[in-house]
Amino acid sequence: MATPELIPPSKIEETQQALAQINADYAERYGFHDPENYLYKAPKGLNEEIVRKISEFKDEPQWMREFRLKALEHFLARPMPNWGSPLLAEVDFDDIHYFVRASERAGRSWDEVPEDVKKTFDRLGIPEAERKFLAGVGAQYESEVVYHQVREDLEKQGVLFLDMDSGLREHEDLVREYFATVIPPNDNKLAALNSAVWSGGSFVYVPPGVHVEMPLQAYFRINTENMGQFERTLIIADEDSYVHYVEGCTAPTYSSNSLHSAVVELIAKPGARIRYTTVQNWSQNVYNLVTKRAIARERATVEWVDCNLGSKLTMKYPSVYLLGEEAHGEVLSIAFAGAGQHQDAGAKIFHVAPRTTSNIFAKSISKDGGRSSYRGMLEVAKGAVEARSKVVCDALLLDERSRTDTYPTIRISEDDVNVGHEATVSKVGEDQLYYLQAHGIPEDEAAKMIVNGFIEPITKELPMEYAVEMNRLIELQMEGSVG
Amino acid sequence: MASGGAALAEPSWLAARRERAAVLKGELPLPTWKGELGWEFSPLGEFDIEAFEVGAPADLPPAAAPLLVAPSTSVPDGALVLPLAEAAVSHAEIVERWLGSVAPGDDAFVVRNDATWADGRLVYVPRGTRLAEPIVISAVVDGATALHWRTLVVLEEDAEAEVWEQHLSSDEESAGLLNTVVELVVGQGSTLRYVSGQDVNERTWVFGSQRAEVAREGSLDWAALGFGGRGGKVRMETKLAGEGSHAKVTGAYAGLHRQHLDFDTTQEHAAPNTTSDLAFRGVLQNRATAVWRGMIKVDPGAQQTDAFQESRNLLLSKRSHADAIPGLEIEANDVRCTHAAAVAQIDKEQLYYLMAHGLPREQAKRLVIEGFLSELVERFHEGPLRDQVGGALERRLAELLGDD
Repeated sequence: MATPELIPPSKIEETQQALAQINADYAERYGFHDPENYLYKAPKGLNEEIVRKISEFKDEPQWMREFRLKALEHFLARPMPNWGSPLLAEVDFDDIHYFVRASERAGRSWDEVPEDVKKTFDRLGIPEAERKFLAGVGAQYESEVVYHQVREDLEKQGVLFLDMDSGLREHEDLVREYFATVIPPNDNKLAALNSAVWSGGSFVYVPPGVHVEMPLQAYFRINTENMGQFERTLIIADEDSYVHYVEGCTAPTYSSNSLHSAVVELIAKPGARIRYTTVQNWSQNVYNLVTKRAIARERATVEWVDCNLGSKLTMKYPSVYLLGEEAHGEVLSIAFAGAGQHQDAGAKIFHVAPRTTSNIFAKSISKDGGRSSYRGMLEVAKGAVEARSKVVCDALLLDERSRTDTYPTIRISEDDVNVGHEATVSKVGEDQLYYLQAHGIPEDEAAKMIVNGFIEPITKELPMEYAVEMNRLIELQMEGSVG
Repeated sequence: MASGGAALAEPSWLAARRERAAVLKGELPLPTWKGELGWEFSPLGEFDIEAFEVGAPADLPPAAAPLLVAPSTSVPDGALVLPLAEAAVSHAEIVERWLGSVAPGDDAFVVRNDATWADGRLVYVPRGTRLAEPIVISAVVDGATALHWRTLVVLEEDAEAEVWEQHLSSDEESAGLLNTVVELVVGQGSTLRYVSGQDVNERTWVFGSQRAEVAREGSLDWAALGFGGRGGKVRMETKLAGEGSHAKVTGAYAGLHRQHLDFDTTQEHAAPNTTSDLAFRGVLQNRATAVWRGMIKVDPGAQQTDAFQESRNLLLSKRSHADAIPGLEIEANDVRCTHAAAVAQIDKEQLYYLMAHGLPREQAKRLVIEGFLSELVERFHEGPLRDQVGGALERRLAELLGDD
């Protein structure tokens, strides 16, 4: 029975106490957590009734309800993927809350945002960042966006930047036209799960010819023990428009494992350019199983900048379908795997139209027994004449206990192409270390410098404040790495 | 020569091996296309291994030119070269010790070979023996039967040998099956050059489980030619088991019509200070398809590993298709591992350059492809092996370009 579960205050205290003892180390580094204070939390596990409940709570149109139920069928019918990480077997779909509702309506202005949520944002530095940089904030707190503000000049340009639930309410026709057209609900088990229970995420529409100068940013948080986070993002860049969307994640640590399974769909119409940047730093108990895919029409460009530092397990392969002539796809990827972590990240590019081009540059670092894997797919379909692609993967191993893998796949069905892949694995060079130490730099500092230099070609593509944050995160990860 | 193992009274240890393998067959089902990891891109269609009658190897067809021609047919002094079924009786201590030591029964195709192999060859080179002449082994699939062929090459310490093996069909039409298991044991300080050429007819399925283990300071120079067959998969696994060992693996495949050529290579570095260098090149015509999957594995503790892996495909037709799946799994940090894969068509600039110098288009094309393949041939030392491989590739290229 899907009876709403109200959280008694006594339980909050209990949870807090339990939390205080766990991974205190993480809390010092990044962390904080807020007391659970929710109006509604669905019981653990998933069935048709919960899916109906979610849809009912959101007062959704019939077609979306049917979509969710169809997706649930796909989810239940499909086996867990038999590839990827052995850690995947640890995910227990029955031990997850599929819906948590923090407040009744998305906050209209900063003043309406609840105090405890504001406190969280303060720790993340959002209000200040917003004043300085942000074009708008879609901040996901729990399963629902509680605060959302679109800057006036964006509105004037006709740019829509809403949370997905509001997008569905206010722009149903647009959502219905594009939703799940890039990632159908039966694409894979996790995408099916997201399709059945999605909540939150961003909806962005950029009208023809409009260049959004400031990056659109959204912060995501998981904040309930055993709570899944299933945001759904859809970005449509109309002809000759440009938008840069930035997604950053931080999360406090909880006692049991948490599942994050997003679906992100990007549509770049002819001549449009979308850049989607992610800095993923989930706490190290999160299973981050994400489906991200873009389609690029004639002369369109899609760029994924994907940085994975956190989580216990990440399986994520941002992909681009180059469907129009001269479309271009690009994936820049950084993975950092520390103790107990497996970053199984990569990229997929499908060349379908003539004269399409793509680049994949992936850098990974493994340390303290961590494992990072690059898994990729590069496919050139029949008819994609004069396709050009280059894939370069570099891996750095910081100690003998760590592991790195590279699994690129290249499938070519057209003779008139030029496709290349290369990968190297190395350790932090002793001569480099020696050189820096000879110049009076302590060994651990020198190692940090080498690692930062290794990933610099990608961090330089990040917005400035993210580049700074990335370097800080890498430095934290690197502490005590040599010796 | 067409004498199967059944003709001889088998020793009891071998009969027991076959029984164990027959039991394991039930536990190791054949892969089904797309379902099985590693088989996603290998079309097996209606393939059913049980549908083939198990046959004995046929004699070399007199009309057909073999892939590799031996400079001499005599067995070099000092080596033991025997039909495996015979050796199992006459040299039981050698066969019993080494058979299955490199390719254990942990795979669907290996256990089916274990249970039913009709014949094969033992090549045994005792300690300190260095052979001057190559040893040639030929296995011929008899019509539409299944040939489960087994090769065991053992080089004891400080030995040296060169073995050429070729797999052929008795005719061009019969839809047969070839399922080989090859075990190469390279002893401490030994050097083995082994080339395996496959040129069965285009209707025959080809499966192979070929594994090598190289001991301390040993060296293996391994080459494979894949020309024939309708489909299947050949695994070539090299384990650098001893410190300071080295392997060079070279592969060339060339397919046409609707052939599917499939190679799965592994370079496993299990000891420190080991090096491996793998290069594969493929040329595909008409609707031919190919999969090359390669893995470099560096085990924990295998420091100072230096591993290289490269795969290049040349597509000659719009309907041809190539998959390249290189891979790295690294669990030691003081290593240098590099891989590269590329798929391309004939370099137009090279083509135009040659045509501008007066060469007709077809001839220019052929020269460019020859250049692409000759880089592989140059990986062999000058000598009869290099000449044979170069000649075989040249003849195959002529078939692909249709002027044969």
